[in-house]
Amino acid sequence: MRDFLELSISAAASGCIYGLIALAYLLMIRPTGIINFAVGEWAMVGAFGGFLLLGRIELPYPVGMAAVLGIMLLVGWATERIAVRPLVERGAPLLAPILALLGMLVVFRESISLGFGPDPHQVPEPFGFEHQKTYMIVATLIVFAGVWLFFERTTTGKAFEAVSLNRKAAALMGINLPQVTAFSFAGGAGIAGLAGLLVAPNISAHYLMGVPLAIQGFTALVIGGVGRVEGALLGGLLLAFAEQLTVRYAPLPAGYAQGVPLLLLMLFLLVRPTGLLRARA
Amino acid sequence: MRSLAGWIAAAIMLSAVAFFLGGYYNDVYRKLLLWIALALGYNFLFGISGQVAFSHFAFYGIGAYAVVIFLFHVGLPLPLALILGIVVCALIALAVAIPSTRLEGFYLALATLALAQLFIVVLNEGGTITGGTGGIVDYRLPPIFGLRIVGPWYTVVIVVLVLATYAVLWRLDRSWFGRACRAVRDNPEAAAAMGVNVARTKVIAFTLTSVLAGIAGMAYAFVDNTVNPPIFGLENAFLLLFMVIIGGAGRHAGAIVGAVALYLLPFVLSPLIGHHHALVFGVLMVAAILIQPRGLIGIYDRLRRP
Repeated sequence: MRDFLELSISAAASGCIYGLIALAYLLMIRPTGIINFAVGEWAMVGAFGGFLLLGRIELPYPVGMAAVLGIMLLVGWATERIAVRPLVERGAPLLAPILALLGMLVVFRESISLGFGPDPHQVPEPFGFEHQKTYMIVATLIVFAGVWLFFERTTTGKAFEAVSLNRKAAALMGINLPQVTAFSFAGGAGIAGLAGLLVAPNISAHYLMGVPLAIQGFTALVIGGVGRVEGALLGGLLLAFAEQLTVRYAPLPAGYAQGVPLLLLMLFLLVRPTGLLRARA
Repeated sequence: MRSLAGWIAAAIMLSAVAFFLGGYYNDVYRKLLLWIALALGYNFLFGISGQVAFSHFAFYGIGAYAVVIFLFHVGLPLPLALILGIVVCALIALAVAIPSTRLEGFYLALATLALAQLFIVVLNEGGTITGGTGGIVDYRLPPIFGLRIVGPWYTVVIVVLVLATYAVLWRLDRSWFGRACRAVRDNPEAAAAMGVNVARTKVIAFTLTSVLAGIAGMAYAFVDNTVNPPIFGLENAFLLLFMVIIGGAGRHAGAIVGAVALYLLPFVLSPLIGHHHALVFGVLMVAAILIQPRGLIGIYDRLRRP
């Protein structure tokens, strides 16, 4: 029983990370339709920001965290400016920015590998090792509550929803589309970077950590459905539990846990392509 | 190339090159040819059929591992091992394509990205079957009709393979199937209205190109006479996408130009920046999409017709 409790906490913590990555995808997909595979690399950049500001310069945790968030907002905004906006303005097909972002993914990864080398780096945790998982869960819940309130209670959030429902109509109603796109990328990068900062003490900052996170986050999104913010968290938790239970109870080498997202992805695409939670009408 | 004579002349010329190259350059030449075969197949999948998949290079690995395992662990004769290798590639491709192509959007990209990751895990954890992290080493191509094919003669085998791949894709592109693929890429609804079975066209294109990648992988297995997990990692899946886009997606010539350019670029760049040429590839990829969506072949077209 105690064993199961520990497994649950550990799965919930991983599930929160997947949920945050899924939320970052969702923030960008809803208004723009763009699937940005570089979110995993953003998480990696966030983790390395944590290593640099908290591990090496040893800033106080809240200051360092705020600085990482600020940097990530800037990174997201700059990414949108470089790889998305010129293509959207030109009226290029949706595939073009998605491919440009794949190029950016490689640019991010190789820049970090060039700057920090191929070795993993330790990132400190704010409340000590034993409380890290609780901290991850609480921080994630705060982010989700914030994003949920943003969409449900603020005018800007409503504007985002309007854009995701009908771009042309939203533009005719006076909503500034480029601004919404820029915000969604900055916000996505902020949330993905936070996920990287939260997960980094457990798995260390490493330049190859991005792609697995990108896959797990997207699987979480497919499970939960792109329609609702809560879906991202639900999908993340389900995926993490499936992974941890497989590793714990199935007679397979631990590496095969990486196969769980693929199987779940396939299963959901076949059985329930809209995800568990449907968008509200 | 419209006539059989043209194809034969190309085969002879490309083969003749191998006999003027030493051992090292023969190795470089073979790998270049295999990259061209991969890029041609990926161009059909991505450029002509419009499917974004990251599994193409994994199928190259699946083909290579399958033929080696069937030959040396199961002990099958070469023709049977080759046929079973193709069957394995086709079955895995169908298993991935049928669920993911039912939906529009980029589910295929994600499913194939996950497949490519999982493939590496299976290789690393596969124990004695896949040889784990060390892979499988110390094997030789079995003799065919009592002949051992070595040195430049093996390069000839690869030349024939590349030209056969090109011929198949070139014919296919000009058939009703190629037109159906382009129609599905450009406008699936219109294609369906014209009587094209969208899902089936996608599945066939994915399976066919994946099998071609697997066949190239089988040839690769006897280039280095070793297969191991790092060779078939995701890096190369991205590289393949970059080759096709930078060369010019949707054009066979574009795929060839892109493969040659990006394969040879690290040889030029490594004295300058060491192993970080992937950074240059990423920058080139973004630049290509922003500035030159038709790729290098588009620049060539513009120069020729001012």
